[in-house]
Amino acid sequence: MKIDVRGEICPYPQVKTVAALKKLAASDQLEVLTDHPPALETVPAQAARLGYVAEITEVGSAEWCIVLRKTS
Amino acid sequence: MSGEVNPAQSPTLIPSGVQPSIVPRRRRLNVALGVAAGAAAFFIFVATAWSDRLLAVFWLFGLAFGFVLQRSRFCFASAFRDLFLLGDARVMKGIIAGLALATVGFAVLMVRLVPEVGFGSLPPGATVLPLGIHTLLGGVLFGVGMVLAGGCTSGSLYRAGEGYVGSMIALLGIMVGLEISSHTWNWWWAFHISRAPLIWLPEQLGYLGGILVTLLGLLVSFLVVSWWEFRTSIMLPAKSADGHTPSSFGEHLRVLGHTVFVKGWPVVVGGVALGVLNVFLYTYRHPWGVVAGLGIWADKLASAADLGAGELLGRSSLAGCAFEPETASALGHMPLLNLGVIGGAFIAASLASEFKLRIPRQPLRYVQSVGGGVCMGYGAGLALGCTVGAFFSAIPSLALNGWVFAMALTIGAFLGVKLLNRLP
Repeated sequence: MKIDVRGEICPYPQVKTVAALKKLAASDQLEVLTDHPPALETVPAQAARLGYVAEITEVGSAEWCIVLRKTS
Repeated sequence: MSGEVNPAQSPTLIPSGVQPSIVPRRRRLNVALGVAAGAAAFFIFVATAWSDRLLAVFWLFGLAFGFVLQRSRFCFASAFRDLFLLGDARVMKGIIAGLALATVGFAVLMVRLVPEVGFGSLPPGATVLPLGIHTLLGGVLFGVGMVLAGGCTSGSLYRAGEGYVGSMIALLGIMVGLEISSHTWNWWWAFHISRAPLIWLPEQLGYLGGILVTLLGLLVSFLVVSWWEFRTSIMLPAKSADGHTPSSFGEHLRVLGHTVFVKGWPVVVGGVALGVLNVFLYTYRHPWGVVAGLGIWADKLASAADLGAGELLGRSSLAGCAFEPETASALGHMPLLNLGVIGGAFIAASLASEFKLRIPRQPLRYVQSVGGGVCMGYGAGLALGCTVGAFFSAIPSLALNGWVFAMALTIGAFLGVKLLNRLP
């Protein structure tokens, strides 16, 4: 699953990611495209609570992709 | 062919195989912009120092506040909001650390300003404000507004500098709210505020008592939010430290530069840095405040349209962000402090290549930014300050109004989160 939360004001990048994780199939991974720097700290922390690990890659100037996978 | 989708233009989320040359080029452009802005900021500093030393000092402090806020992603709104939204107290703990440090620093300054505590002898500059219903009402309104708009006044300033369009709109909303509150000020003054007491803790408890009670209050707050965090969530494992040690002095410097300018700072470092800056700013005249500068701008704009609030009763006797529209200048030291925050955040964001115009796509977000801004503005006008002036500068001033405003902000943030959860 992929979500695009670019342009969103705080705290929607975090809130929408958590909502998406809760709907995610167990085998699937979530890709979050964001331009909100605070999300780089809050999203991995929130995801860890739900049992996901985060991997962040910079995909543009001030744009990041956070890939969230279930910890096995 | 119109029916076919060009795979190269299809809306894939992650530009797979990102054009490797474009990202570094954009980053270099961003950094160059930051360096140019830094040079311009320095030029403004020199130019203002020539005419008025106080202006130059406040400009410089504004830049420093903006830089620290951006680097540590320090957000007063999220500190209160995330207690209820995520059960997270990370930012609140950073604020408490900054407050504890500023309390000691302010105390040293205040003891020198007013060595003998007697009745009616408040230290000049300290944010001791009338305490009453307006403090509570203002704090609750402000708390709701900052959650809806996604940032408080200082947050909106620095996010505007990072390119958040929603925050720029929130700033306009705040100014509208402030102007509305200026128009109702004289009524509030006659009805309630003129009779509200100024409660400065050293007057009741002596300096030592006031400092100890404040530090104890901060310790209790720290324990309560830690318990709250523990109760509502699982504690997170600490990040594993990078085991790599720099091998040469050059690499050491590079790592240091990367840590300061590119990688975000831990929020506690941000809180402590803001506390230290606030103590130093107080040595020049008075501590940090945002609302005065915004209120002055709001009234200048309103006056230009013949909608100015005119004389505000009792303002000359009040501290903190109680500006007097008649005598204030649109480019005085308080407005310059705010411009500095925007400038400092822009410089910091550009150097870290985090500057970008962020345009919300949902129309509702614009309504939230304006509505939340107006709520914040009206609340800050009533309480004579925001999360900065009436809270971050008030608690270290050993003023009881800071604690009451903090409680009201917490209630407001709680209500704001309830509202936020109902919005799409």
